[in-house]
Amino acid sequence: MIHFHNVTKEYENQTALRNITFSVGKGEMVFITGHSGSGKTTLLKLIYLAEKIDKGSISVSGWELEKLAESGIPFLRRNIGIVFQDFKLLANRNVFENVALALRIRGMGEKEIKGKVFEALKTVYLRHKTDSYPKALSGGEQQKVVIARAIVADPTVLLADEPTGNLDPDTASGIIRTFKEINACGTTVLIATHNRELFRNTGRRVIKLDAGNLIGEELG
Amino acid sequence: MKFLPYSFNISIQSLIRDKWINLLSMVTIAAGLFIISLAFFLAYNIDMATEKLPEKFTMLLYLEDNLQKEYTDNIINSVKKNKAVLSVKYISKEDALKELKSALKNSNYIFEGLEENPLPDALELKLRKDLVGPETAKKISEEVLKIKGVSEVDYGETFLSTIQYIRIGIKTIGIIMAIILSAGIIFVCYSTVKMLYYRRQEEFETFKLLGATRGFIRAPFIFEGAIIGLGGGLLSLFGMYVFYYMVILKFSVTIPFFKMILFPSDLFLVLPFLGMLLGIAGAALALGRLKY
Ligand SMILES: Nc1ncnc2c1ncn2[C@@H]1O[C@H](COP(=O)(O)OP(=O)(O)OP(=O)(O)O)[C@@H](O)[C@H]1O
Ligand SMILES: [Mg+2]
Repeated sequence: MIHFHNVTKEYENQTALRNITFSVGKGEMVFITGHSGSGKTTLLKLIYLAEKIDKGSISVSGWELEKLAESGIPFLRRNIGIVFQDFKLLANRNVFENVALALRIRGMGEKEIKGKVFEALKTVYLRHKTDSYPKALSGGEQQKVVIARAIVADPTVLLADEPTGNLDPDTASGIIRTFKEINACGTTVLIATHNRELFRNTGRRVIKLDAGNLIGEELG
Repeated sequence: MKFLPYSFNISIQSLIRDKWINLLSMVTIAAGLFIISLAFFLAYNIDMATEKLPEKFTMLLYLEDNLQKEYTDNIINSVKKNKAVLSVKYISKEDALKELKSALKNSNYIFEGLEENPLPDALELKLRKDLVGPETAKKISEEVLKIKGVSEVDYGETFLSTIQYIRIGIKTIGIIMAIILSAGIIFVCYSTVKMLYYRRQEEFETFKLLGATRGFIRAPFIFEGAIIGLGGGLLSLFGMYVFYYMVILKFSVTIPFFKMILFPSDLFLVLPFLGMLLGIAGAALALGRLKY
């Protein structure tokens, strides 16, 4: 589903990822861990082409990213649900509209949008906050809205960047349970986190990054 | 393209939210289109007034005295060979004198004591309407003077070139003005849309990350530009009608000259479409190529 081959990513002043090679199979749920600044977010950004690949090649559910034309990027991204580390919620839209946006850009009809958005909000236990604006939500609630937006369009790949950073341990394990359910339905899930609690005893693959290098893999 | 109804909604919301800015640019566009229309209106009327003049244009070829009939026919034939010549009419000196006499009926004393007809035989040429112009007339006059038996050519040289200069001048000024003002209108739409876009740019970065196409981001602005342009066009159309009914028609009651003024009301119906096109052009330019 996701293949990295000798991928290197350089920012102006430093190398964020060096010679990364790994694969994630269809239907897998894999964790990426490492210290702050080790390159987790950068790795995810390459998958949805928010950053361009400097060296090597990446393929995502059949798309060869280094060959993809700009006009193909929107359609690549529609296969991918993303939980952004910095949320990227729109302050001038309420919870419903924020989640609905992922469907609006696909040109989906109003009725279908309603059903899907409510379903996604139910999954993250936020059905009662439909009309609130992001400003009026707690950090954890905002995070849940982002998760709802990431899953609402039934993506084939779900990328979650520090998805429990603002949640208490109980809610965090609830979210992980949700990811497991989504994963059980066939969605490939990739979770970047420095919180070891999240993958402890999950039995899932954990890819370890350190200062831009892939230093190994273990089972959680 | 399925998202277009949603985009349209968004553009209406944006029009309402920023109603003052949008209204201002609409009025500015209306003013620009109104001035273009006035210039066109003026040019149109001058054009119409001078259009019929070339039809009346004639050239007179004076022939030498006492030419034989066959020789005159020869001259007529060779003149007719010229493609710019529409018709040739022979005016004998007797006819010419008769015409002169009837024109000067009240001053018949002029002809007293006149023993011999002093007028020459002549040919009256009419030129093809589309070819009437100073250059053609000059060329023809040079050519026919070479024909033996033609003594003189007479045509309103300055008259012709003056008309032509007026017509060309008015059209040129009109076109230049229309181009400058159209560019101005496009610029008004351009800056309005650019400003609205920049204000929401961060939002659009998120749109892109969620998989929005360029079209999805652009469509509301294109609609907005189109609506602003259309509104400006309708306003200017309204302005032109008000101008016509309040000014031209009112004056034509007292000043007969105003009755001659033509108002091409059908042509002004393109104003809303013109405004819309310019609005769309401005919006499209403002958005440019969105980067991913
Ligand atoms: N846009 C950028 N321009 C320049 N350098 C960047 C940029 N984004 C990230 N970096 C650098 O690249 C390195 C990896 O950053 P990245 O965000 O991938 O780390 P991370 O593992 O996600 O960290 P965290 O756990 O804090 O989120 C960091 O040293 C960071 O300073
Ligand atoms: Mg990060």
